[in-house]
Amino acid sequence: MDLYTKLLITAVALPVIGAFAIPFADRISTPARNSLSVLLGLCTFLAAAALFWPVCAGQTVTMAVPFPLGFDFILQADMLSVFMAAISSFVSMVILIYSLDYISHYDNQTEYYVMVVLFLGSMMGLVFSANLLWMYIFWEMTGFASWRLVGFFRSDKDVAKANKTILVTIFGALCMLVGIIMVYFDYGTLDMNVLHGEAISMAAAAFILVGILSKSATLPFSTWLPDAGVAPSTVTALLHAAVLVKIGVYAYARIFGVTFAAPDGFSTAVLYIAGASALVSAGAAMVETDIKRIIAYSTVSQIAFIFLGLASGNSTAFAGALLYILMHSVAKGGLFLAAGIIEQNTHTTDITRMGGLFASMPVTGVAFALCSLSVMGIPPFGGFFSKFLVFSGAAQNGNLAVLLMFLAGAVMTLLYLVRLFYKIFLGEAAGHDSPKEGSYTMVASVMALALIGLALGALIYYPSSYTQLLTTNLGVNLQ
Amino acid sequence: MNLILIPIILPLASALVLLIPAGRTRYLKETLAVLAAGVSMLAAASIFVTRPEPLSLAWLNDAITFTLRADSLSAFLLLAVSLFSLAISLYSFSYPWSFKGKGENCGAKWFYFNLLMTQAFAAGAVMADNMVAMLFFWEGLLVFLYTFIALSQNSHAARRTAMKAFLINAVTDLCLLAGVCITGYIAGTMSMSEISANKLTLDYGWSLFAYLLLLVGAVSKAGAFPFHTWIPDAATDSSAPFMAYVPAAIDKLLGIYFLARASIFLFTLNGSMQLLLMTLGAVTILVAVMMALVQSDYKRLLSYHAVSQTGYMILGIGTLNPIGIAGGLFHMINHATYKSCLFMTAGSVERQTGTSDLSKLGGLFSVMPVTGLCFIIAAAAISGIAPLNGFFSKELVYKGTLETGYTVFFFAAELGSFLTLASFLKLGHSVFFGKRPEALSETREAPISMLLPMLGLAAVCLAFGFGAQLPIEKFIAPALTTLGLQNFGELSGFHPDKLYFLSVIVILAAVINHMLGLAAGGGKANKASDHIHYAPVLKETYALAENRAFDLYEQVMDRVVPPFSNLLSRIDRGFDWLIDAMPSAVAGGSGRAISRFHTGSYPLYMALTIIGAVVYILLAGGLK
Repeated sequence: MDLYTKLLITAVALPVIGAFAIPFADRISTPARNSLSVLLGLCTFLAAAALFWPVCAGQTVTMAVPFPLGFDFILQADMLSVFMAAISSFVSMVILIYSLDYISHYDNQTEYYVMVVLFLGSMMGLVFSANLLWMYIFWEMTGFASWRLVGFFRSDKDVAKANKTILVTIFGALCMLVGIIMVYFDYGTLDMNVLHGEAISMAAAAFILVGILSKSATLPFSTWLPDAGVAPSTVTALLHAAVLVKIGVYAYARIFGVTFAAPDGFSTAVLYIAGASALVSAGAAMVETDIKRIIAYSTVSQIAFIFLGLASGNSTAFAGALLYILMHSVAKGGLFLAAGIIEQNTHTTDITRMGGLFASMPVTGVAFALCSLSVMGIPPFGGFFSKFLVFSGAAQNGNLAVLLMFLAGAVMTLLYLVRLFYKIFLGEAAGHDSPKEGSYTMVASVMALALIGLALGALIYYPSSYTQLLTTNLGVNLQ
Repeated sequence: MNLILIPIILPLASALVLLIPAGRTRYLKETLAVLAAGVSMLAAASIFVTRPEPLSLAWLNDAITFTLRADSLSAFLLLAVSLFSLAISLYSFSYPWSFKGKGENCGAKWFYFNLLMTQAFAAGAVMADNMVAMLFFWEGLLVFLYTFIALSQNSHAARRTAMKAFLINAVTDLCLLAGVCITGYIAGTMSMSEISANKLTLDYGWSLFAYLLLLVGAVSKAGAFPFHTWIPDAATDSSAPFMAYVPAAIDKLLGIYFLARASIFLFTLNGSMQLLLMTLGAVTILVAVMMALVQSDYKRLLSYHAVSQTGYMILGIGTLNPIGIAGGLFHMINHATYKSCLFMTAGSVERQTGTSDLSKLGGLFSVMPVTGLCFIIAAAAISGIAPLNGFFSKELVYKGTLETGYTVFFFAAELGSFLTLASFLKLGHSVFFGKRPEALSETREAPISMLLPMLGLAAVCLAFGFGAQLPIEKFIAPALTTLGLQNFGELSGFHPDKLYFLSVIVILAAVINHMLGLAAGGGKANKASDHIHYAPVLKETYALAENRAFDLYEQVMDRVVPPFSNLLSRIDRGFDWLIDAMPSAVAGGSGRAISRFHTGSYPLYMALTIIGAVVYILLAGGLK
């Protein structure tokens, strides 16, 4: 077994098993628990990032444990899975660091850390799985962890919202399972290396799509995401911005982008669903007055742009969509964490009771603005390039109605983010006593994400050539 | 390093250096900014002369490279951008950057930061050969446009206007983005020089759509109707140097540059597009100049002219004949010169008197003679009085318009000239002549650092006049060689023909109109336009305009966005009901219904089981 295979196993096994060591560390001391959690996050990220070397050299790292009936447990690191794993584990690591201060005065901290690390581990398992069945198993594990995390506060309302999250995603997951079983009966295997380039039946594709849409909070299953905003901001950042909602788009890229050739008409349907999702949720973001709900709706809307890129059927758009995942994870994670600072220091999430916060929270304000600009896709931020490539691909796809829907969606994105920034940081101060800046680690984590967004724009050559190469090497049925 | 990078990298780096907190260093930031602008100017001049090789770096993918190319048009624009950056950074040396509640030099620091960043991005936008690189620089200006306005005054009005400017430009930049995507796809390349070798036509829907999107991006940057409404607001809510730099100079240069690129080099336009462009030009001229005429604030009046003059440039380019296009481009550079100069006079009057309200100003010529002189030169130039530069560029636009055969646009443009002169007679008379108010008895001339750039620009107005041979031959004509433009003599030089006499008639008419206005307004210069302002019909229209009834941005934000978002939000609630309340109700209801059968009665359970088995067998058998 060579070094890279060990790293691959580490990236999955370390957080999954390590999560259960956290309660024991808590027995020793709180700092021991906290440092173990951060350390687990850090090591997972390093292991995932180290896998960039072999995959960039054109190598695929595989580890397989045989199971009967074609249910082999296969972990495989190719360009797509390493890309996704590195992004998710990096943002999770930043969130873990930010959590140290944020979560320090709530109950159930140990459960929180266990669930975050377990979530990270199941995410790693999901992205590295090359067998649809195991992908499904890790998929459900992420759902379980997110259920406990959304229900972190124990009031009836929180529990109800957590139940809504799990019920909607489990419903989707079960539909997906039906789809996977149909694939199994068609081909007798669930190994995606074997299935590569095969056609998938419309019904199976549709069932799998339901699972993807419900996990990625896309119309018609979108509203659990804003409702789950009752959770702590770190959880919303982890689940809504950076990692959980990206599972759906990752699965779409994995299943319909690089494995199966999706049937005609299927991709077009996805484009229309995504377009509607982009518009409807952007409209809701304009109307809402709760900061976290607005950002959550914004996520729903932005996820639709990723679907636009993935489903447009050409390599420009596909590469753009992958870049979009990267840019959006970083920027939206930053926005949620900034919202966490604001929420903690103003003791409200209602933007009508904020206003004029820039004077007392300048660093958070600047970081919030930088992240917003990246989400809007304004150069020189990284978001510009992903937005441009996605639109460029949509233009190549040649569907005018879809293009117009997304143009309107992009305009709405500008409007609600500018409105949000104006209402929170500028505008008339609405009866608050000029709350202070957040703690050093919290502000630094947010600022780091904001500056990474800027750096990604400046050094766009590297991520874009990576996604370009990925698309060329792995893409199926792309023009 | 390639010479071509210096005008971009140098201001960018200097701007970042400015941000390093350097304590209370007086004039250090200013000197650094002026030096950076000066060196960039030299680099731009040397690029203009030597035309270095294009620079191409790998960027997004094979089709999208980072390519900078200095062709005749780009090099000329780069020179202009650098010139205005240098002039404004000099001018702003002594501008009072008082900033309530913040550090002493904070205003200056951010002003110079924004100025240098704007310069760097504008230089990049004019030199980019790849459309994506151009879009990158072009859209990147948005951030600095916002911070420029928002940080120029510590007031809510400034932030609101900054948001308005940001949103208007961001939305139209999105149109540009979509246009670039489509154009690039149709042409099969993103390189503008490759597209211009094989121009696109407007024969089918997608290319027409692409051109229209590019057009929206270009004219909105230039500040044409109906995307202009942030400019007058910014005039009152931001600083005079900002107005002199961005809306008066940089935005016009970029907008008209790209309009020319798209209309002449990328696409072959047809008759109906020509008509559309000329109409847009004429409407912009008239709407804005009518508004300018009745303003009572120095900077606001000028800002409406900044919009109105854009109309001449669009009209000129819209004629699609070489004379008109040359006129449009020439007018672009002329306008930037005199309008920058005019805003500088406004800034220096405001600095020396503390106000820009026309009713509080008057008789300043005797105490501020240099400012007054610059004002007179620039105002004469904008009003198209021979032999200043404005006269020659307008004459070219008129000639081009007449050549198309649409005389109506010619008359609209002449009417615009008449109103322009009328409003400048009013402005000049109320600020520099007449009786000086008591409050201004102590007023003195502005400091030398403000006067120098003003004098410099006024000198350019003179130098580009008197036959206009130099700018036409050196700058405009080389950029338009592909149009088959050969006879320079036709473009420059003074022609005492019908057009000249018509311009004299327009001048006389404006003077008579001013006399009439004075007589009607009781001799008060600032009321010299009241006879037009309060004329029947116009009075009501002006009242509506004052209430922003014609402001597209305000109307959309008030009337379209809220109901549309509410509708979408309702739909969202509908989907929420579909996945939350509805399934819960169905599950709860059916659960209650089924629980009735759970009575504990064994015979009932048996009966249900048997019925179930029978149904299953029947169905299963029936299906087979």
